[in-house]
Amino acid sequence: MNLSVTRSARAITAGLILFAPAAYAQTAERGGADAALVERIKEAVIKELRESGALERAVDEGIRRFVERQGAEAAQRERSEANARAAALRPVSRGRDHIRGNPNAPVTLIEYSDFECPFCKRFHATAKKAVDDSNGQVRWVYRHFPLDELHPVKARKEAAASECAAEIGGKDAFWKFADRFYELTPSNNRTDIETVLPQIAREIGLDKAKFASCLASGRYDRRIQEDYENAVATGGRGTPWTIIVSKSGKTYPLSGAQPYATVKQLIDLALQDK
Amino acid sequence: MTRSLTNLRVAFALAFAHFSYIALAAMLSILAFLLAVWFPNLGLIAEIFSGSNAPLTAKLGIAVSLLGGIGTNFSLLSAGYTVTISVLFGITAAMIVYQLKRTRATAARQSLAIGSGGVASGVIGVGCAACGSLIIGTVLPSFGAAGALAALPLGGEEFGILSVALLLVSLLLISRKIAEPAACPVK
Repeated sequence: MNLSVTRSARAITAGLILFAPAAYAQTAERGGADAALVERIKEAVIKELRESGALERAVDEGIRRFVERQGAEAAQRERSEANARAAALRPVSRGRDHIRGNPNAPVTLIEYSDFECPFCKRFHATAKKAVDDSNGQVRWVYRHFPLDELHPVKARKEAAASECAAEIGGKDAFWKFADRFYELTPSNNRTDIETVLPQIAREIGLDKAKFASCLASGRYDRRIQEDYENAVATGGRGTPWTIIVSKSGKTYPLSGAQPYATVKQLIDLALQDK
Repeated sequence: MTRSLTNLRVAFALAFAHFSYIALAAMLSILAFLLAVWFPNLGLIAEIFSGSNAPLTAKLGIAVSLLGGIGTNFSLLSAGYTVTISVLFGITAAMIVYQLKRTRATAARQSLAIGSGGVASGVIGVGCAACGSLIIGTVLPSFGAAGALAALPLGGEEFGILSVALLLVSLLLISRKIAEPAACPVK
């Protein structure tokens, strides 16, 4: 290492010593002979740098620094994007949101879900178990994320039906509707909504006429779209899209119907955040 | 068909006689599997490992538990072809490396190209299963790809099956290159 540094320094010093009079001579006479001398010096310096390996090391070092800089910039960009996504998360509102479990729980599990998604159906039981086993430490917030391209018409209609259930039967009716819906339906846009929706409304004790009228009104379309847009703004690209939020506001985004073990460990992590 | 199977057997015997190629195939298969299962949550994993004060065991615990997603976040069909793609990818890649090192030629280029196509197709296939949680959601939404894939009989899982087929073709091609090196046949 020391040897190579010495050799590089020697090459540069030799170059400077030789180059200085040459530069002076060039200024004074500007003759062709001096230009040739400068060329020879340049070649000598480059040769020395090449032979000592200094040039190669300098290039390697430059590449290493470039890669490091790129990595750091990418990490910074990723952090900024993650922060922006977390900032986009709509705060939980007791008046507007559907909350299951202790409303004052320190950890919040916000799920953006599509009633026709088979993985949401699977994850529904996971989230329910997480709340039931949490001893009041977790509250579950359900928001709509109907994927129109995969489940056209039906997913939004079912989301509206769940809102109608909440309007007519109260907050508990929303969860009764959701639980029963996932129990009864086959997912993947194969639900016979003309039969199933009135059936669930009847089973959970909703007024049939009011439910039908609410469903036909389209008054929850805007709310469902707002939930959808919030899901996308927070980074949701598929369903179920879940964000676990600690008391301090730190977020843990979880994509897909992940196992209960993962959800439990993320909740434990969120509980440790003060 | 019989010839292809013979080539496959011979090529396996040649390439995997060396422990290093078995290790390479296993490592690549595991990497491919991890990537497929972790892909929707790479951001979460990065966040936990870089931005959390939790002990390392807790961080590793979350990463390991996410592997259980193969049972909860994949359909039976997509879980099956995800595992198959990972294994075929590892084996094919290790055999391509073996052939490249042995011949130092471009003979493996065709297998490499088809194998790459297989892997790319597999990525789309894996994404389709999880309600658009992979590539459809991240790369292709502006092209209306999710809608187009939903119109397919298996909702896009065809790509996973295509991927397995392409990787199999790639494996057979590289086996032939290894088992039947280019030479003039003796009459």
